[in-house]
Amino acid sequence: MSWNKVAVVGAGLIKFGELFEQSYEQMAAGAFDAALANVDKGLDRRSIDAAIVATQRGTLWGQEGIGGNTVPSALGLSGIPCTRVENACPTGSDAFRIGAMVVASGVHDVVLVIGVEKMRDKSAQEGLLARAASGHPLYNRGETAPVLFAPFATRHMHEFGTTPEMLASVAVKNHHNGCLDPYAHFQNEITVDQVLASVPVCSPLRLLDCCPQTDGAAAIILTTAERAHEFTDQPIFVAGFGVATDHPYLHEKSTFVGLPATTAAAERAYAMAGVGPADIDMAEVHDCFTITEILDIEDLGFVEKGKGGPASLAGETALDGRIPINPSGGLLAKGHPIGATGVAQLTECWWQLREEAGERQVAIRSGYALQHNVGGRGSGVAVVNILTRHRT
Amino acid sequence: MTAPTITTPVALLGVGAAAPSLRLAAKDVAGAWGSGGGRGTVALCDADEDTLTLAWQAAVRALAAAGVDVGDLSGLWWGTTRPPFAEGPSHAFLATALGLGPGATGLLCAGSPHAGMDALLAAWDALAAGHARIALVVASDALIPGVGTAGESTTGAGAAAYVLGALDPAVSGGNGSGTPARLVARATRVMAVVDRYRGDAEAATGDVYDGRLFREEVFVPLLAAVGRAAGPGEQGGAPVQWAMADPDGKLAPAVAKRLGGTLVSAPLQAALGDTGSAAALLGAIQGCAGIETPGVLGMIAYGGGRATAVTLEVARPVPGTAEAVAAVGGGRPVSYVQAIRARGQLEPMSDPIPMGVPPAGAAFVRGNVEMLAFEGAKCRICGVISTPPSIHHRCTGCGGGDLDVVALARTGRVQTFVVNQTMPPPFQAPLPMVVVDLDDGARIMVQGSPADADDLAIDDMVQLSLRLYATERGIPVYGYKAFRVAPSPGGASDEARASSGARGATDQGRNGAGRSGR
Repeated sequence: MSWNKVAVVGAGLIKFGELFEQSYEQMAAGAFDAALANVDKGLDRRSIDAAIVATQRGTLWGQEGIGGNTVPSALGLSGIPCTRVENACPTGSDAFRIGAMVVASGVHDVVLVIGVEKMRDKSAQEGLLARAASGHPLYNRGETAPVLFAPFATRHMHEFGTTPEMLASVAVKNHHNGCLDPYAHFQNEITVDQVLASVPVCSPLRLLDCCPQTDGAAAIILTTAERAHEFTDQPIFVAGFGVATDHPYLHEKSTFVGLPATTAAAERAYAMAGVGPADIDMAEVHDCFTITEILDIEDLGFVEKGKGGPASLAGETALDGRIPINPSGGLLAKGHPIGATGVAQLTECWWQLREEAGERQVAIRSGYALQHNVGGRGSGVAVVNILTRHRT
Repeated sequence: MTAPTITTPVALLGVGAAAPSLRLAAKDVAGAWGSGGGRGTVALCDADEDTLTLAWQAAVRALAAAGVDVGDLSGLWWGTTRPPFAEGPSHAFLATALGLGPGATGLLCAGSPHAGMDALLAAWDALAAGHARIALVVASDALIPGVGTAGESTTGAGAAAYVLGALDPAVSGGNGSGTPARLVARATRVMAVVDRYRGDAEAATGDVYDGRLFREEVFVPLLAAVGRAAGPGEQGGAPVQWAMADPDGKLAPAVAKRLGGTLVSAPLQAALGDTGSAAALLGAIQGCAGIETPGVLGMIAYGGGRATAVTLEVARPVPGTAEAVAAVGGGRPVSYVQAIRARGQLEPMSDPIPMGVPPAGAAFVRGNVEMLAFEGAKCRICGVISTPPSIHHRCTGCGGGDLDVVALARTGRVQTFVVNQTMPPPFQAPLPMVVVDLDDGARIMVQGSPADADDLAIDDMVQLSLRLYATERGIPVYGYKAFRVAPSPGGASDEARASSGARGATDQGRNGAGRSGR
């Protein structure tokens, strides 16, 4: 018995990429317009009762004091209640979870969840790389973003015999899917050999094992299950969600072959939705690096621990595989504008469950889709959302 | 006035030495500037080494050799021509990193290459006065010669550390006859001359004297005078062996010839160059290693218009001498370009982006002490050690709130690692980042050594050493790096045990609870 108190009635995003020509506000407005346009029966923008903004790092585009007040004005909604949510890489997915709880609380009926992130207004050295030296002033010196995940690759290879080819197969698959997604940052096929020949970034990870720095925005409109049919005949329901934290620093990890925050968040989401991994038709998971997707599919219960590499290499996670993973292209090909990432993943789940994903449509059998992000220093927080097309 | 010759002896209980990791051939310097000749090599610091990290390394080794626990030290006496902070917490940083704790006494001597000797004399006085019982003396230098100056092919770097003990029954068996060696006499003379000079805000040291003039009229007479006054030549028996500073490779032989006896510091000079403040003490270590015991050794330091000679009676091999001589051997040859880059004299045009927490910030104040002292927070309930203490007010294992701050072990094994090839300045790639399971059960993540980037593997045994992480906003920032050592199932080396500090060093219990999921 799923939760199903809240429905998604509209979702949309702008094409991800290096959007130097667009401001933060323009990206937000584009995503909101796209979501409105995708509401089957139409929705007057003045029907939005409140908004949750997901932006992880205002500092990356130079606005240190960004809050929830920036976005409503840009959307023509000035005056509505609006709050900014920040929760590391799951910022967008947690904003969605909070938006769903706001609707379920009965305080606001129609809530906009909008993720917006400027990753490229500053140079890499001034932006992400420099910020990666945050945390303890000395203990984590030298810890750039790939350092947060590459140690798991080293250990996973050591314990399970996972190979660079298996890691590369994740990037190859997601780039293929990205070619079928008009919103993806990258629209080019790559080969395993190209991945293995790309420059080392943070050994054992190479350039094509890493997601790009991408600007983007995505928006979702939520309302109560009861009112959903005012806006669409094909609502998608929030079946369940889970959030979990873990010790934030790498040296505090209990394991380097899995992410306990993911496992715990998934357990909570599955329990809330009343389903298990076998009921999931497709999943959008956090593939900031190739190794992350391998960890994810194990921690989410889609494959046995240690078997993520062989499963990826064998095509089990392809569009036509046993459990299609990241049909949108994932973070690796679609891009990772942090606050927008989770909202865009949920938009993909929404399209897939409505069977509107075109060339990248996967087979929908049970009617459940799963979305997942993990991040925050050394994967200190994970969020899992489960959507369904079933009312009950 | 004529300074008296001091003759109150103190005991030498053990020694240690350190040399930086790079070696530059004098002929490469000559080649870079189109001049001929150049003999020998000089030692110089890699980008993550400086006079403080060399001092730390030598001190850790001396304590291990002497078998002295850092908790029994009366204080730290450190001499270096140019401390890392011209004005600032140099002594406090080194004392904290050595585990002396908040009660550390002693002093920092600086300002000329006589500084190492000044530290030795001050420690000697404190011991003789009864104000100290066991003193750690460290003499170190890593001077930066001006680009294109004669000093480039002579200026070296290195550190020597002595553990000295008062001649009281508890420390050295009464009259010191049971100790390996004793410092028995000393003499100092001064002459107000300008020879080597560096002004405020100048990065490099320059020589401003006429070599032949000063050798004949200043250096040789002055050094010979103190050598005679300290009187090692009057001890009778075996001929005196001399160890002394030598800025140009010609002075020491001339002085030794004038005094009579053998010069024992020449090989070290040829390998490392002029190690400045460390030269006399390092040379004496080399002398001790080769001396027939019992024997007499004279060491002479010069700098800033002051010369001091010390007479050392060596009864039996001084602990640590052989290890010290081995420790200053080797080194990685580098090109002239690599050398000036390592010395910070070849820098990219762009300004490095300020990284991390400003050294003036409160987080840095909290974090710096616990990093230098290398502390963890150990749970009284389950035994798990959470690191670092400033971010753990409760146990990461059981959530308990009853934690003791302990000094962490300095050796462990690699749990996992990466080699980061994309580093913003001031970092330099490739930089390994290593998650280490320490021998006391704590787990940390620290930078590794670039030299290990190709060879590092899971389960390798690593040892942690103090290094210069970066110079940020003009301020040196220090922390520990993991260095791969030969796998050794026997556990921590003596050096690591000594460097673990007094607190917690004896508590090597494994962390059982809370990490069963590893």
